[in-house]
This record gives sequence, C-alpha cells and structure tokens, in this order.
Amino acid sequence: MPGLSPMSQLLELPLQTKNCLLFSTLQESTFGAVLDMVTDRVSTAALLVLLTHFYKSHYGLFLGLLALDISSHWLQMFSTHLSSKASHKDMGDSKSTLLRLYYQHRYFMGYCAIGAEIAYILLYMLAADGNIGSPYEVARHAVAERTVYGIVLVIALPGCAIKQLVNLVQMKTAADVCVRYDTHRYSSKSQ
Amino acid sequence: MEDSTIEDSPKQRNWPIYLYIPNIIGYARIIANVAAFGVAFTNKKLFAILYFASFVCDELDGRFARMFNQKSTFGAVLDMVTDRVSTAALLVLLTHFYKSHYGLFLGLLALDISSHWLQMFSTHLSSKASHKDMGDSKSTLLRLYYQHRYFMGYCAIGAEVARHAVAERTVYGIVLVIALPGCAIKQLVNLVQMKTAADVCVRYDTHRYSSKSQ
Repeated sequence: MPGLSPMSQLLELPLQTKNCLLFSTLQESTFGAVLDMVTDRVSTAALLVLLTHFYKSHYGLFLGLLALDISSHWLQMFSTHLSSKASHKDMGDSKSTLLRLYYQHRYFMGYCAIGAEIAYILLYMLAADGNIGSPYEVARHAVAERTVYGIVLVIALPGCAIKQLVNLVQMKTAADVCVRYDTHRYSSKSQ
Repeated sequence: MEDSTIEDSPKQRNWPIYLYIPNIIGYARIIANVAAFGVAFTNKKLFAILYFASFVCDELDGRFARMFNQKSTFGAVLDMVTDRVSTAALLVLLTHFYKSHYGLFLGLLALDISSHWLQMFSTHLSSKASHKDMGDSKSTLLRLYYQHRYFMGYCAIGAEVARHAVAERTVYGIVLVIALPGCAIKQLVNLVQMKTAADVCVRYDTHRYSSKSQ
C-alpha cells in the first residue's frame, strides 16, 4: 500500500495474508496491525513448542526454527526502526537480490509465510493422528501415501523452506543496517 | 547488559563493529546457549554450567563495551535478541519438564513475546511522534522499574533463577524464596508494559487523525 511507512509495510503482510481484509480496510489502525503481528508471533511460537513435544527426537529442529523466527523478526523490527530514524541516503539500498525479489512479489511472500504455517500445522496433524518418529519420515510417508496431508505438504514445504532461507538473509541484512547506522553516525559527527 | 548510547571514539573508527570485543562475547554467549540447549535433556549439570557461562557473558559484554569504549547499536540489538531467544528456549524446556503445567509456561512465553514486541513497537512510535503528543503514559510501577537498575536486574535475574531452579527439579528453597517475588514482579511488569504500549499505538493513531483534521 502506497503512503505507508516501512514499519507499517512490515506489519501489512500478516493483515494481507489473513482473510480479514474486508474489515481491516474499513477500520485500519496501528494497534490492529501490531495486534495482528504479535498474534502471529505467539501462535507460530506455540505451534513450534507443540511440535517439540510431538517430535521429541527432533526437538532441536523445532527449537531452532523458533529461534530463527524470533531472531529474524526482531532484527527486522530493529532495522526498520533504525532506517526510519536515519535518512534514506545514509541507509542506502541494503537488500540482497533474494530479498528484493521476495518483496517485489507480495503473493509469493504470502505463499512462503502461509506455507510455513501450514507445514507446521500439517506436521502436528500427522503426529496427532499417531504417526511417530522423525518429522522427515512422517512427511515422506504422508507424501508417498498421497494422503490429503501429503499433497498439501508437497505444496507447502518449498514455501516453508524459502521462508527460513529468507529469515536467515533478513537477519544478515538487518544486522548490516545496525552497523551502517553506527558508522554513519560517527562519520556525520566528524564532518 | 548494554544500553544503546554511543560515544564518539576516533580510535574505534577502523575496528569493524562485528569484531568489537563485547560483540565477540555476544557470539560466545550464543554458542554457550546453543550448546546448553543441545544437552538440556541428556546432561543437566552441563546445561547448568553452559547456561551460567552464557549468563556471565551477558554481564561481561556491557562492562567490556564501557571499558573499551566499544558500544554499538548492533551489540545492543544482539544482546536483546539473544535475551529473547534464550528466555523462549528455557520456557520451552520447562514445558517438557513440567508437562502437567505446560499451559503455565506456554502462557509465560506468550507474555514474554507479546510484551516485548508491544514495547518495542511503542518505542518506535514514540520516537516518531513528538514528545508532547505522546505524554508520559508510563505507570508508577514502570517508572520505578526503569529508574532503579539494580531493581531491574533483580527482577530479571529473579525470573531466570526461578525458572532455572525449577528446571533442575530440586527445591533450592532459600534461592526460590528470594527469586520468586522478582519473577512475579517481572510478569506483572510485562502485563503493565503491554497495556501501556498498546495505549501508545492507539494514541499515535488518534493524534495522526486529529492533526490531519486541523
């Protein structure tokens, strides 16, 4: 949406990917956008905690995904905050090619974000149905059996994988923003 | 713990920020945390040692930043993010050790995530809007919390120690008695901060609309 600050654009995605567009366009509010973002973070975290229980042997995988989710979103939040404080010519265009591609295609972004959520939910459903073992085996089995879960998983998993990759890249880019913010502060002081 | 004020220091200008001493300590802290949570189910003593090591790193990085005059925004952010992740991981651990009280620890995790996010966002909004619009919306408890750094440290440590003593499955009675009030206050403060931060979000919009209509 044009005219919104970068921070609002960061918050816009959860609003767009969820089907509450009808109401959100009528009654947009900053509080609403933040509420949506926070709910997103907490529900993703809770889902991953659940998965550490259902796949105890791969506890580290889901804890790692939780750590990645928390870190990348926090770093993005900080870098957006710093970018809006500094002038744009100082911050420059720090986005990598992957990220530029990612942000240019909003629906692709949506697919990746939703893909991750759906993959987690499906893994939960499969475990709750009694499938025990490693999540890789459970997923492979569902795909091989061509169950409904398996088919959706095949669609969702690439999106999930890309989302994690993007999370990693976003962390590096955001960290660079923090460093650039300080270097420009020093250089502008010496001028 | 680091604050985010930066001092101008010509001799630091050529030292890459990613390799500042406090930031290297920050990386060591992350490694200690990863190792700790890797052995959390298999070797509790080792977990305790590694987690304590990461706690020591957390205390040291602030001191080293001041000592070497190497404060950096990246360092402050690294500190904050590591705090958030290690608190979350500890709570996840507790949902496993105390499965019957899974909801309690999941609730504390939700509270930790929400309150810090809302605070962060409200700080962002406050720095955008002018100060006379935002007003002083902090409650007495919050003002008390931030004014007294040691009180803040005690509250933060209290929460961590209580959780850790509980995870060890032994009742360090005296330690718990000292730590638990701090833990409870920290959760209360989290709740208050959420309300205050949410108010900032609402006030930000109200002022945007009223200034547009003028």
